[in-house]
Amino acid sequence: MDDIEAELGISRSVGNEDFSDSSEDERVARKIRPPILLHSSTAQARAKESGFHESSRLCLKAIRDAMLHHHWQEAAQYLSAYSQTLEDTTVNKQSLACEIIWRLGTEILQHHPNSRLEDFNALYEQMKNSGVKNYAKICLEHSFHLLLNGHIYDAKRQLSVAASWRYGKQSVPQSLDLKLIHAYCGFLDYVIWHMKKSSVSEAEDNSSNREMHSYFRQASVTLQEIIAQPGVWDPFVLSYVDMLEFYNDQEEALKVLQNYAYNKDYPSNPNAHVYLYQFLKRHEAPPAKLISILKVLHHLVPSHELMQEYCYLLVNSVVPGHLEESLPVVFNLLDYPSWKNDLDTWNCLLTVMTVFKRKGLQHLIANEWKQRKDFWLTMHYRAYHGRKDSELNRELLLVKAKVAKLLGEHGKPDHFFKYKLLIIFIFLMF
Amino acid sequence: MDEHLTEGYSEPCKQCGAVSWALSDGCQFFCRNCHNVIEKTQDVVDVSSFILNNKISSISSSSRKKTRREGGREWMVCEGFQFILKLQAEALVGLGVCPQFKTDVLWDFWKRYLQITRQAYTRSPVNSFTNTVYLSSESEPESAFLSEASDQTEPMSASGHSTDGRSSVCSGSLDAACYLSAKERKSRQLMNMPRTLALCHLALLWLREAITLADLLRLVSRRLIPYINVYEEFPEEMQFYGRDAIIFRVETIPSYRKVHGEALQMAEILQLPAFPPVTSDCLLHPALLSLRYLMEVNLPDELHSLVCRVIEKSAMGKESFLTFNPSKPKSTFLFYDLQAAALIIVTMKLLFKLDDHVEWTLSRKAVKKDDQGKKKTSKQGSKMFSLKAWYMTVHPALERARQREELFEARRPWKSKKVLIPAMKHKAVVLKRRRVVEQLQSSFHTLTGSVPEQQSSSPSSFQFLWGQEEDSDGPSLHHKRLNCMLEKRGKEKWLVNQAYWHTDLKRCHKKDCRDHYSELKHSLPRMYVWLLGLFSFLLRIFV
Repeated sequence: MDDIEAELGISRSVGNEDFSDSSEDERVARKIRPPILLHSSTAQARAKESGFHESSRLCLKAIRDAMLHHHWQEAAQYLSAYSQTLEDTTVNKQSLACEIIWRLGTEILQHHPNSRLEDFNALYEQMKNSGVKNYAKICLEHSFHLLLNGHIYDAKRQLSVAASWRYGKQSVPQSLDLKLIHAYCGFLDYVIWHMKKSSVSEAEDNSSNREMHSYFRQASVTLQEIIAQPGVWDPFVLSYVDMLEFYNDQEEALKVLQNYAYNKDYPSNPNAHVYLYQFLKRHEAPPAKLISILKVLHHLVPSHELMQEYCYLLVNSVVPGHLEESLPVVFNLLDYPSWKNDLDTWNCLLTVMTVFKRKGLQHLIANEWKQRKDFWLTMHYRAYHGRKDSELNRELLLVKAKVAKLLGEHGKPDHFFKYKLLIIFIFLMF
Repeated sequence: MDEHLTEGYSEPCKQCGAVSWALSDGCQFFCRNCHNVIEKTQDVVDVSSFILNNKISSISSSSRKKTRREGGREWMVCEGFQFILKLQAEALVGLGVCPQFKTDVLWDFWKRYLQITRQAYTRSPVNSFTNTVYLSSESEPESAFLSEASDQTEPMSASGHSTDGRSSVCSGSLDAACYLSAKERKSRQLMNMPRTLALCHLALLWLREAITLADLLRLVSRRLIPYINVYEEFPEEMQFYGRDAIIFRVETIPSYRKVHGEALQMAEILQLPAFPPVTSDCLLHPALLSLRYLMEVNLPDELHSLVCRVIEKSAMGKESFLTFNPSKPKSTFLFYDLQAAALIIVTMKLLFKLDDHVEWTLSRKAVKKDDQGKKKTSKQGSKMFSLKAWYMTVHPALERARQREELFEARRPWKSKKVLIPAMKHKAVVLKRRRVVEQLQSSFHTLTGSVPEQQSSSPSSFQFLWGQEEDSDGPSLHHKRLNCMLEKRGKEKWLVNQAYWHTDLKRCHKKDCRDHYSELKHSLPRMYVWLLGLFSFLLRIFV
């Protein structure tokens, strides 16, 4: 408690008396209190603050209370009174004020019944230009807002203005945001291309075609640049591949996807493998290839929804050894609670087990079951589950019963016997 | 009078032959002996001279001579303070203070201050540039001169002036730089914004007006007395920028303690004689002031006689005790409002003990006695004063008032439309910020569809309204009886509660005597703490 000020990095506000000429950079270097904690101050700090700061602290508290109670009208009134903090002469408080007013203002406008798009635009424009620290973020948020409201061209315009922004030392800490701005520029080009594509497909208009192609060129240049850098770029990769497929450039698309999935520099991303798999499936790749991709995915995410497909691929595969691998895959899948009540998964298990029984591979079933029998019984085969399944999903109950029959041959038959009795009883009742 | 302006001209007068010229209102030369007006008019000299306009309400252009230099004139910081005092005095007179406050008392105090600190009305002013200053003559009691001599090209001491420009680049006024160094401020006893309030307080005290210091600060808070952003009302000619901002900008309403301290210092600086005595019919006397506070907190009127008894016994009603006499070294400068509140609290303590037990017992007894009495006199509401009922009435009203006050404080606009530019290089940024703020405010106003009303309807000295009206804070308890607090033993009436407690007293050094309350607060009875909180809310004194 005593050292909380040191931990939170509270800085003493600069007194109004010494309005010296130190530059903004020096002040930035001092520790700034995060805005989230502005409303809670120590009694000592409160004793020393000026009346103006006390008013702004109380005003922030009032805004917070109004917002939490969803009194948007009140919140807007207090925010307009709070805007006087933009003229604060203490530098660190003033720079915080810009961020606070931006974030609170957008939140209030979103919920206020009378707000229009012009209000949003006006707020964004004003807050962009007061204080440079948040410029990139505000630009991004502004263009997202326009995008969500359907003004795609305006969003694009905003981003292209922002992309060419440079401000000396401020560009460096905001470089990540600027990269995002660049990426979304490309993405918006893709969105516009997509719009034009769907409108052009009816009429064969040369000029609009050319426009469409120009957007494609712009988008592909930007997206290629972005995707070449390590990172998680899911929507951008998808959009780029979509465009390439339209122009029938399969090799390039494959190259991009493989790079995205297999390059060690990129952070491990299961979605990359999913995209690659989907792409190859669309283009009818041989099952061996598909299997190899899904194998990696299985290692990364054993509970992925594609594991069922993987299982079927393995079962139907001609390569020896694949069949044996399918059982652990489906057992792993059912280890996860998200697949507990899924009919298809249980059917898959049933299929695999019958196949194994037919092919005389029961020892494998026994192996898998030995690992799992302790917790599977409580997870899948309790009386409670029986009752619930009987109410919600009769078929599941049947399938589970069949599986139980098969599993019962490998251990704990009496438990299964009790379970089966229960099911018969339930069937007799209804 | 105008020798410095006419000294270049030494032709003898055609009519009387004397060489004594003066300037008329029309800036024409006339002979002082025979009042012969000649053709010669005042040359437009580079030396500026001006006459400080005083606090008369009508500004007659004839008595003002100034050179227009880029639409502005030069001014000293004390002129600014004079203007502020004028506005404050006018506001107070508008609120009901007698007009002599403005024309006699405050004005005299101010003149005395200027004279003692040698900023005006003296032969050797303290400003760094030497000048010939003229004392006001007796025939013109209402105008004063502050003029500069021609030798302003003398090198200035560290005042930051440029030798050729009159008003420096750092500030609109001429001597703002002097006000910035703490050492000079202290040594020359310069004026600052809280001191304007302190001066008003002294003047009110001199006139024994009913406005106590707590009231004054409350009026300032309600913007009925100009204090925050008062520089907006400076006339156009007084160009205001740069370091002036630091002197005149206000970002805190000063606390009671601060203004009181400043008033004490000012009384010392001004070397005032004994103040007019505070007699028992004057509104500052604790007997009358406590009546006002009793009404405010909804306590029964019968309590007032008990409070008067306490005043008698403690000898706090004596004139010699109450009157402030700066010339005597041991005289204390009293806090009249605090004193009245303290007397009420002590009376309550005597009556109820206020130790979280006795007062509730007594109020239960009062209710019981009331119920018994009800059987006899039906249809009457409870006549006895019960502390519990009082607490249950006053506490919610207090909480509501605190909440209102907090929201009022949250909405208070500190920044003015007239932008303060602390340094020229920040001018563009400051103007842009002002623009952004105004745009934001107007857009939010159109969003909410209304401009919230800030100002209360009319200034009232009471903060709570007790009675049966619609917007009252609660039922009035003024008529309740205190019979159950007194019991008859023999022929006299004694208080039911016979105990009294006090926290440990200890000596502390005068300079270290700051804030005992925060140490003791956790050990005091809650009812007592609540009562202190009630009065500190009323008097706007925050612990």
